[in-house]
Amino acid sequence: MKHRSLIRDLVLPVAVIIAGFAALSPLSDLVASRKPQLPESYKDADLFVKGRELKGFVLGTDSLVADWYWMRALQYIGDKVVNSNEDLRLDDLRNLDPRLLYPMLDSATDLDPHFIAPYTYGAMVLPAIDGNQAIAIAKKGIANNPNEWRLYQHLGYIYWRAKQYENAAAAYEQGSKVEGSAQFMRLMAASMKSEGGSRSTARAIYQEMYANTTDDAIKKTAESRLQELQWLDERDAIDEKLAEARTRTGECPQRLNDIVPSLLTVRLPASDLAVDARGNLVDPTGAPYVLDRGECRVEIDRKTSKLPLETN
Amino acid sequence: MPNQNSFSTIYAVARNAFREAVRDRVLYNLIVFVLLLTAAAIFLGELTAGQEARVVTDLGLSATLIFGVFIAIFVGVSLVWKEIEKRTVYSLLSKPVSRTNFILGKYLGFCVTLLFNTLVMGLGVTLALVYVGGGKFIAGVWPAVYLIFLEMTIITGVAIMFSSFSTPALSALLTFFVFVIGHFSSSLRDLAQSMGSDAALVFFNIIYYLLPNFSHFSVIPNAAIGQTPPASMIAYATAYAAVYDIILLTITTIIFKRRNFK
Repeated sequence: MKHRSLIRDLVLPVAVIIAGFAALSPLSDLVASRKPQLPESYKDADLFVKGRELKGFVLGTDSLVADWYWMRALQYIGDKVVNSNEDLRLDDLRNLDPRLLYPMLDSATDLDPHFIAPYTYGAMVLPAIDGNQAIAIAKKGIANNPNEWRLYQHLGYIYWRAKQYENAAAAYEQGSKVEGSAQFMRLMAASMKSEGGSRSTARAIYQEMYANTTDDAIKKTAESRLQELQWLDERDAIDEKLAEARTRTGECPQRLNDIVPSLLTVRLPASDLAVDARGNLVDPTGAPYVLDRGECRVEIDRKTSKLPLETN
Repeated sequence: MPNQNSFSTIYAVARNAFREAVRDRVLYNLIVFVLLLTAAAIFLGELTAGQEARVVTDLGLSATLIFGVFIAIFVGVSLVWKEIEKRTVYSLLSKPVSRTNFILGKYLGFCVTLLFNTLVMGLGVTLALVYVGGGKFIAGVWPAVYLIFLEMTIITGVAIMFSSFSTPALSALLTFFVFVIGHFSSSLRDLAQSMGSDAALVFFNIIYYLLPNFSHFSVIPNAAIGQTPPASMIAYATAYAAVYDIILLTITTIIFKRRNFK
């Protein structure tokens, strides 16, 4: 009798629970496989409620709703990056066509005009997508926060990327007048006017960005840009030594290693040329350079280098 | 297998549970819901740049889910606890009512309340859609309403299970956690996969398969763009919910049978 009761009250229910969980796994997969997928266009559908329309209707939670728009903007870009399977940099997301980024950042800053992060993010990402939108968001930030010198720096950066060096100089100049602004702003105002398109100016911008950002994605982008600038300096130095060797011997060297001794004396603006443990010349990402003997020029090894493919 | 007598006992307990919920003015939430939808239908035209139907669908179905879940949690945790607290459980269980039948009756009675509540809300969303000229969205709304109801039956099961051994406040909190994690479990598993940590993957896989996966019942974004889930998906989701409900009720009865009311 007791035995039957044990089976009825414990063994049977436990068996039901185990069988139930065993059935749940395939059922779960079946439901998931049949759930209709949202079309790709769903995520890119126009925003149907904009921040400025919500102002005054969100019961004093404007700042919270601004946070929501901001997080949506980050997720929007993040999802696109994850799904693209490309090696992308934050400052060039043209391939993703993130057309809703500006409306989202605009909405976030409509609801909370003193929310600096969306302006910063917009200054970094928008210039490659739509220069006018990038300028608009930076100017909006300055209008709402005239004492934030970083926003002038963002505007200067946007103009610099658009090769509008006079405007960039003006933005840096204005920012340098804000109390508490970094010395860097005054230096940039001067160098934009005289050598806006130079590598040294670019290096100064990205070094500053790398040193002062708290955003990992922006830091990674700045690091990548600095490596790219270093590659350009190294390429010029190596090509020069290759040309010298060809003039001297009448033919291009067989291997890059042949000119390594002469390159070791070369001093570059940021850091000097590097060789790996095998004595090969390596690019800023640590991948060995290759020699194009036909052109007698140094090349990046496209298979191993982590440098961006489009360099000039 | 419950016999004829058990069925009538379960029916009697269920009917009382439904009456009790109505007496407790649980259905008053419908008034708030109707007011919300009416206001949304009238004012959203100004805010949504011609997307009223989409917003009414989103808002209506989300409100149906949120209202329903809160009722399922807060009423669900007190279903059994109240009987124990008021000591009415003694007189009930002294009659030929088994503890299993008591739990089943309470659960089913409350599910009927939730069904009625959800149906009225679905009707409200439908009427609001008709008002804003979004008739083509209605076909997607009703499957979504049904799936929301299925989700609520699981949440009620979870609430009753926790309340069979814990206090109402803690039960409500734990049930709410299950609701939140249940909606994130797929994303958490994907995140664990991208992290590349084996330990995290095992942990989140256990959560994924052990806790209810509420994303299976979430088709609100689909309804808002006029998509209707296929019948097979609805059938499998029904089976999933039924199996999960059975598991939860079985666990609850095991605990409840061992509980000492002295």
